[in-house]
Amino acid sequence: MEIALEAEQLGKRYGRTWALRDCSLRLPAGRIAALVGPNGAGKSTLLHLAVGLLRPDAGAVQIFGETPYANPSVLPEIGFVAQDTPLYRDFTAAQLVEVGRRMNKRWDGALARNRLAQLGIPPKLPVGKLSGGQRAQVALALALAKRPRLLLLDEPVASLDPLARREFLQSLMGSVAESETTVLLSSHLLADLERVCDYLVVLQAAQVHLVGGVDDLVAVHRQLVGPRHSGEPIKGVAAVVRASHTARQSTLLVRTDGDITDPEWTVHDVTLEDLVLAYLAEGETTTSHAAWEVPA
Amino acid sequence: MIWLAWRQHRKQLLFTLLGFAALAALMIPIGLSMRHSFTELGLPNCVSQLARSQIDPVTANGCESAFRQFTNRYQSLNLVAVLLVVLPVLVGLFWGAPLVAREVEHGTHRFAWTQGVGRTRWALVKFGLVVVVTVTLAIVYGLGMAWWVSPLTQAAHEGRLGFIVFDLQGIAPIGYTLFAVALGIFAGTLWRRMLPAMGVTLAAFIGVRAAVAILARPHYQPARTLTFPIEGAEPLQEGRGNWVLASGVRNADGKMLAADTRIMCPAGGQAPDGGRCGADIGAGPGAYNWELYQPADRFWPFQWIETGIFVALAALLLYLSVRRLRRIA
Repeated sequence: MEIALEAEQLGKRYGRTWALRDCSLRLPAGRIAALVGPNGAGKSTLLHLAVGLLRPDAGAVQIFGETPYANPSVLPEIGFVAQDTPLYRDFTAAQLVEVGRRMNKRWDGALARNRLAQLGIPPKLPVGKLSGGQRAQVALALALAKRPRLLLLDEPVASLDPLARREFLQSLMGSVAESETTVLLSSHLLADLERVCDYLVVLQAAQVHLVGGVDDLVAVHRQLVGPRHSGEPIKGVAAVVRASHTARQSTLLVRTDGDITDPEWTVHDVTLEDLVLAYLAEGETTTSHAAWEVPA
Repeated sequence: MIWLAWRQHRKQLLFTLLGFAALAALMIPIGLSMRHSFTELGLPNCVSQLARSQIDPVTANGCESAFRQFTNRYQSLNLVAVLLVVLPVLVGLFWGAPLVAREVEHGTHRFAWTQGVGRTRWALVKFGLVVVVTVTLAIVYGLGMAWWVSPLTQAAHEGRLGFIVFDLQGIAPIGYTLFAVALGIFAGTLWRRMLPAMGVTLAAFIGVRAAVAILARPHYQPARTLTFPIEGAEPLQEGRGNWVLASGVRNADGKMLAADTRIMCPAGGQAPDGGRCGADIGAGPGAYNWELYQPADRFWPFQWIETGIFVALAALLLYLSVRRLRRIA
């Protein structure tokens, strides 16, 4: 199995704060991966490291076996759409396609033009005058025209309305389905990506909390409902990810390592959303009462 | 890549050229009329005679008054010359500072630097083109200003080496403009926002220019001294166009009696008020006028040294900019 992106103890620091720390993950080629985490979790940092915009302060990241920061020759393999889809606003979409042709050796201008024509993007209007959704489509078309083997999208739908989100993701899936492009796209909302991704990376507070194929992850997690639980081991449970309690009842989200046969517990399957929320809640927030000068 | 740079900056280039053309349309008529008066007053002849320093007193007096007449008529243009000194820094502000800062401010560097060519190529092409445009403009500016300002400098005692006029003409503007642009680019890679980068460029440019002009330029080559007695010396002994760095009256033992002054009495040692020449400042027998100066014919060596300093600074800043660029994401 070819690895599109591999991070090994990857870390990036801004001043004293680590924006990303001890990040280890392997993204197999051909997957559509969702990079999920709240704002400020380190998603953009990870993507910038992957595309070589940033140099790691610890560990390493490799794209198809190459280090992107030191080795710009891997850039043609990566299609990147940065957050807020920055484009030269006074250029028209047609001119941007031309920019792409001049700045890339491998360039499929026809692909970009066909896509943009199909989406009804006006070719002769400065992209600054297009709607957010149209601009995102232009940026995606430009990234796809590189015919990349890895497509990195940083919050591509964050600024779009729900309809435009769906259209954007549909058109994205349509175009990566036939090629064998690996995709890593970030969002702070799982709901955006749930329908399209088959691989999941959960980032929280600069650290990776969960990595794996969606089906595998869903298969090994269960929700248990039963009498109030105070930490004693349950057969078949490898770890409790998250527990919430009422006076007489406990709800646990657990990672399993076997069948749960204990009759005290009612076992439910989990959805991807339950899973992500549980792992996101797991990262504790540090309070800042002192900084705000209020009593804790 | 060159195509992208051209598309991005062609409007800016057009406006720069329009600005230049407007300036030329304003300056050329003034320059022509200035030259016309210069010839009309017979000053070219004076200049060539003074250069040979063999001139009879009658002609000398005539020349002096003609020079004064010319200077009076066109004195206000010295102010225009001062204003024109700022042109290189304007190029630095509007071409240099936004080059990287604007991309980062708009986030478009994340688009440009993740295409196939990579950011080092991007930087080399962009910096290279800006340098070419800048040098071209600076050459035109330097030559044009040399033409324009030459009557003024020939009429002035200090000549081409004086402050402001030295900075306006020849090849020095190339150095200044390159330096301003490189400074702007570098400030842009440090502050990454256009306005702070422009502000820093302006402040640093003025600081470095002033420091070099005041502290370094007088010492590019060892200055010469000129001494002449306070009594009976011929006027006009010192050459026109010399850049006087310091002057004063010294006693016979070399002790400075009064700085920034000069005493000239007719032979015989009588001051106009009847006392002994220089008695009021305590000048003894053998007191002399002293002058430290850079001779006028060092104009070109000084231009080359000055330009070299600023081109070297510009090269250093561009190198640092390429390195800083690697740390921007």
